[in-house]
Amino acid sequence: VNAAWVTGGAFALAFVFGAVGNRTNFCTMGAVSDWVNMGDLNRMRMWLLAIAVALLGSSALQLAGVVDLGKSIYPGPNFTWLSYLVGGFLFGVGMTLGSGCGSKTLIRIGAGNLKSLIVYVFLGIAAYMTLKGLFGAFRVGVLERASVTLSSGQDLPSLLGLHRAVIAAVIGAAMLAFVYKSREFRASFDYTLGGVVTGLVVVGGWVVSGVFGHVAEHPETLQEAFIATNTGRMESFSFVSPMAYTLEYLMLWTDKSKIVTYGIASGLGVIAGSAAYALATRTFRWEGFRDAEDTANHMLGGMLMGFGGITALGCTIGQAITGISTLALGSVMTFAAIVAGSALTMKYQYWRAGG
Amino acid sequence: MNHDVELDARGLNCPLPILRAKKALNGMQSGQVLKVVATDPGAVKDFQTFAKQTGNELLSHAEADREFTLYMKRK
Repeated sequence: VNAAWVTGGAFALAFVFGAVGNRTNFCTMGAVSDWVNMGDLNRMRMWLLAIAVALLGSSALQLAGVVDLGKSIYPGPNFTWLSYLVGGFLFGVGMTLGSGCGSKTLIRIGAGNLKSLIVYVFLGIAAYMTLKGLFGAFRVGVLERASVTLSSGQDLPSLLGLHRAVIAAVIGAAMLAFVYKSREFRASFDYTLGGVVTGLVVVGGWVVSGVFGHVAEHPETLQEAFIATNTGRMESFSFVSPMAYTLEYLMLWTDKSKIVTYGIASGLGVIAGSAAYALATRTFRWEGFRDAEDTANHMLGGMLMGFGGITALGCTIGQAITGISTLALGSVMTFAAIVAGSALTMKYQYWRAGG
Repeated sequence: MNHDVELDARGLNCPLPILRAKKALNGMQSGQVLKVVATDPGAVKDFQTFAKQTGNELLSHAEADREFTLYMKRK
């Protein structure tokens, strides 16, 4: 087991995601926008396709005994329902104000958007404050008090008493049927490319952490470990806490206990992949703020995503794709809360728009 | 190209250019032309989708000096 395999693998997969995300215009906030503002579901289908591919692939890995999804943070017994709802909702508001979710922020940075770089900094600081600082006190002291302990875990197979293969097959097939029912979706190579690649990147992410990074008994602690992670658990792609840990790594550079982790490498990989695509296709362009209101919206958007993403244990990728691939109930709840927060913010923005 | 209303969406990112265009079109008469100037790299794709979904015709789009100029006819 070598940490470089973990961080290198995460970087490589994230690079592919960044390049394909840039090319295909994959955007979870854009998916909500197209739906709410235009009645177009194609980018929502792209997102659902990514979820279906991740769910089917991850379930196959689990059933084949390659990885144990129960070792990730998502399906644990602590069902913090209020945190999923409030965190998800605020994340949805934030991504609408901030020109896109965590992954889109990274894709935009790679393509030359300086506004997204400011979102990154505010998101990272707010996320860190929610992990260990002022906002963390509110998260733990207020929101996480509303929780239910589900002794056998919060994953749907345990809750429903059904076999994982059955649930994954039924949900996956229903999603694929909805996605490919659309002739327009079938006719576009990019839609399928964006959805399938994103889903496979999450599946590959589990292999990187759960196989390359897995130590059955760590020589120092004599306990099972997943090396080069910030959570100490098996990880796949998620983008909020990694931004906090990237800032921490840069600021505590000389502290030898700080290392480049799976999450840090994945964030950098998305930026690099998007930048490579933008430069190769000559679509790289510098973008800056329009005015004070635009600046304030992005600063607030970043902070809401940082707080919401940590509180809800993940973002539109971390919970809505990676988390759902473990069939955790909290992930499904967070997904719904994010979409609701984003849609309502767009209604407000439309009402407020100068006509 | 002649236009009746102009929308400056420079420096704005998704979803604001679409939302503001939608609001502007709402206040226009059928057949009138809206000119939009935008800088978001996704603007052309977004307006193509918007035209297809809403029936407002995208008359033309062009790029010069890192700006996209689009003309849309109110249905």
